[in-house]
Amino acid sequence: MIIQIKNLYRRFGKTQAVDDVSLDVEQGEVVVIIGPSGSGKSTFLRCLNALEDIDSGEIIIEGHRIDRSHKDIHRVRLEVGMVFQNFNLFPHLNVIENVKLAQKVVRKRSDDVAHRRALELLEQVGLGDKTLAYPAELSGGQKQRVAIVRALAMDPKIMLFDEVTSALDPEMIGEVLDVMKYLAQKGMTMLVVTHKLSFARDVADRVIFMENGRIVEQGSPAQIFDNPAIARTRQFLTSALGDQ
Amino acid sequence: MTAIYNFNIFRGINDLIEWASQQLVIYIDIFKYLLPAVPKTILITVSSFVLALALGLIFGLLRISYRKPVRTLAGIYIDAIRGVPLLVQIFFIYFGLGAVLNLERFTAGVLAIGICYSAYLAEIFRAGIEAIDHGQYEAAYSLGMTRLQTLRHVIIPQSIRIVIPPIANQFIAALKDSSLVSIIGLRELTRAGREYYSQNFTDFQTWLLVGVIYLIMTIGASRVVKWLERYFAVKGFGTLKA
Repeated sequence: MIIQIKNLYRRFGKTQAVDDVSLDVEQGEVVVIIGPSGSGKSTFLRCLNALEDIDSGEIIIEGHRIDRSHKDIHRVRLEVGMVFQNFNLFPHLNVIENVKLAQKVVRKRSDDVAHRRALELLEQVGLGDKTLAYPAELSGGQKQRVAIVRALAMDPKIMLFDEVTSALDPEMIGEVLDVMKYLAQKGMTMLVVTHKLSFARDVADRVIFMENGRIVEQGSPAQIFDNPAIARTRQFLTSALGDQ
Repeated sequence: MTAIYNFNIFRGINDLIEWASQQLVIYIDIFKYLLPAVPKTILITVSSFVLALALGLIFGLLRISYRKPVRTLAGIYIDAIRGVPLLVQIFFIYFGLGAVLNLERFTAGVLAIGICYSAYLAEIFRAGIEAIDHGQYEAAYSLGMTRLQTLRHVIIPQSIRIVIPPIANQFIAALKDSSLVSIIGLRELTRAGREYYSQNFTDFQTWLLVGVIYLIMTIGASRVVKWLERYFAVKGFGTLKA
């Protein structure tokens, strides 16, 4: 087990954003989390690299524990890469410096090593010619690919994707999903929160349906999409698929 | 009649030329006297502002510390310093502390202006840091960076662009406020002006020229700021045309 989550709780005021979630994820597994907005899926994902405090429960990632004390979070974050809906690229740095910064500061790589790693990954996602561009000069799809590369350059064992296509124009979604599919094929352990149900169906090993902070139902894509056991899942899928 | 009238005009122009040349001589004399004091004004301003920048950054960062007691202490420092007139601080440091610590005029003056302006700069730094989107912290943290690394490599470089204009305002204000240390006998531009007019009784010309020299320095400082703003501008950032 690369990730073990036991009885995780997280509350915002009166709403229980994450309500008693337990989950084990295996090495190389692609877990896609779906659910209506406000169902706590993003909050849950953010707990996994301690961007969100947890009220109780525990998360063990590669033997490192995240709990209320936040003691081990630095080591956990080294193992976990994250990509955000709004890219969050560093606007004052050009593309290659965005990818190099944490490699140098956190991984203590030399400028030369960091540069080669950055270039190699940027070329893999088709951005080898954009290394000197600034984020403001890129399209949404290009920004998101840089953000993925920036996380990958740290050689994480797990990647978290938090609605990474939600801020993109429709014609740019494909180029980002292609990169994610490629990563999945290469055996990266991935947790993906998304509204793109087609991506869940194509790429996921396991689909989780969350609502009101709880895991309502989980199973293989075939199980969830073709034969959901729970009425609420069926209802959500009908309306969500109707939108697509 | 006509002849007399012409004669008067002639007298008038003659007088005017004579008066103007006398004035010119006075202004040149004053200027020669004031000029050696200009470097001292610049030295006081720059030294105290460097001190203010360092202290201001420290207190600005303490102001946003995770620890509440640290935040509170920094807040008290800022409020206390901002709430007392600079002139009183100069007196306190030179006559009060100076007597105990044996401070020289220059040290006392630079300390007083530096500490006073550090409080304003701390608030500017804090605002500049808080203006950066929270997503920037999240991205940096998720890459394994510590809070200090995040501030140093991600947040502060972006804040610099935001804080340059208000810091420039403070620099210009500090340049003008440096005249206050003339009161403890530091021989800068204003002090030199006082010395000159008390010997020559040319109040109008002296203070006009002192004012003009300050004005030239502040305009020069604004030009440097414009250059700095361009230097720190980021390509494709904030170039949106309305």
